[in-house]
Amino acid sequence: MDPNVQLMIYVIPLLIGFLMVLPIGRTIFASFSGSIPTMGSERGRVFIGLIITCLAGMAVSFQTLWISSKISEGGNFCASNSILSCDDVIGNPEYNTDPFFGIPWGGIGAVVFSILLYLTYSSSKEPNADWASSYLKYGTYLTFAGFFVIAMLVYYEFEMGKICQYCTTAHFANIAAFIGFFRLMRLNESKEWNTY
Amino acid sequence: MKHTYDDEADVRTTALIRVMALFFVGIMIIAATTSPIATGTKEGERAPALEGKFYNGSGWSDFNLESYWDSGWAEGDISGQWLVIEFMDTDCPYCVQSAEDMGTNANDFGGNNPQWDGAVVNFIASATELDIGGHDSSRNEVVAFRNKIADSGEECASSDCGSRPGAAHNFPYVDDLDQDNMKKWKVSGTPSYYLIQPDGIIAWSSAAHQGEDLRDAILTLVPRESA
Repeated sequence: MDPNVQLMIYVIPLLIGFLMVLPIGRTIFASFSGSIPTMGSERGRVFIGLIITCLAGMAVSFQTLWISSKISEGGNFCASNSILSCDDVIGNPEYNTDPFFGIPWGGIGAVVFSILLYLTYSSSKEPNADWASSYLKYGTYLTFAGFFVIAMLVYYEFEMGKICQYCTTAHFANIAAFIGFFRLMRLNESKEWNTY
Repeated sequence: MKHTYDDEADVRTTALIRVMALFFVGIMIIAATTSPIATGTKEGERAPALEGKFYNGSGWSDFNLESYWDSGWAEGDISGQWLVIEFMDTDCPYCVQSAEDMGTNANDFGGNNPQWDGAVVNFIASATELDIGGHDSSRNEVVAFRNKIADSGEECASSDCGSRPGAAHNFPYVDDLDQDNMKKWKVSGTPSYYLIQPDGIIAWSSAAHQGEDLRDAILTLVPRESA
């Protein structure tokens, strides 16, 4: 399968999750509230959107880690002469691991999205627990910290003159997750948290 | 009254187990479908990039180590071309002494020797300038060393570069005067040699085999028709 077509497996759920965490999601997904009661509330819809976003981010990070491993074997996955060439970015040993421990960025993404998924999933199951508001804050801080890592990785891409579309999808997932966590954190502080 | 719920139950435990299970499934899929090879300069690792301009006898141009690799190469395949990289300094006395051996090896294993029935071995020298007093190199000195130009005004280890042992070399010399490649390859001293498989995996390094000769490594590791 063409790697750009395969990327849609992650992009489509991510876009759905992103739309769900936005205020506009209320209008777009209004018709689902009949069949999925959770979707009827702002809190429920954002939680579902955030879980989908974290799952998509986790999956695309694993795919990036897989590509990284395949390239190290000497194989190709999405090499291209155009600006969109994830092989050139993920396969560049100068930039493809973190500077402290040498862990591939895909592996770091998979771990971070797993943590975000845990924070979201557990909070969604018990939204009025004492720890839920702390978890939403942790999620907001973690995704905000991700912006600095994304800025650095985008700088690397700029240096190489190439864009890794799989990495960009993971970056976008972090941005969508930040919006979701931030909205839930604000909602949690308001009276609307328990409004149905 | 009988409890129908667990007082100690916490949704966080269930959520953690489920997310961890998902994470490990992802890791297991990667582990089952790939065999990653680390990039590095130890034997069995993928050779890092070697960047810079190289001189091949007709001027300096961009060097691309990747162009030497054949990802489809299989062990024992005699058609794949191997590569020897020498990290050297034109002012290092031992590098000057070993220039003759390098030239001899390049001629013997480079594909133009009818008596060699093994895979072609290409040679590259990465010329650096060590941070030692008297080691002042330049591209002109590298060219004088490679081509063995007499009376060029360039001195290699305190002698005229044209007086170094052996004949002129016909393999490329990469400009690493800024030591970028040497540091990237973690080369501690010169000369250092690496014998690399056609797929870019390091098969032998002089650092890991002190006292062992490069020629012996080629004869042992590079596949031959008669073997």
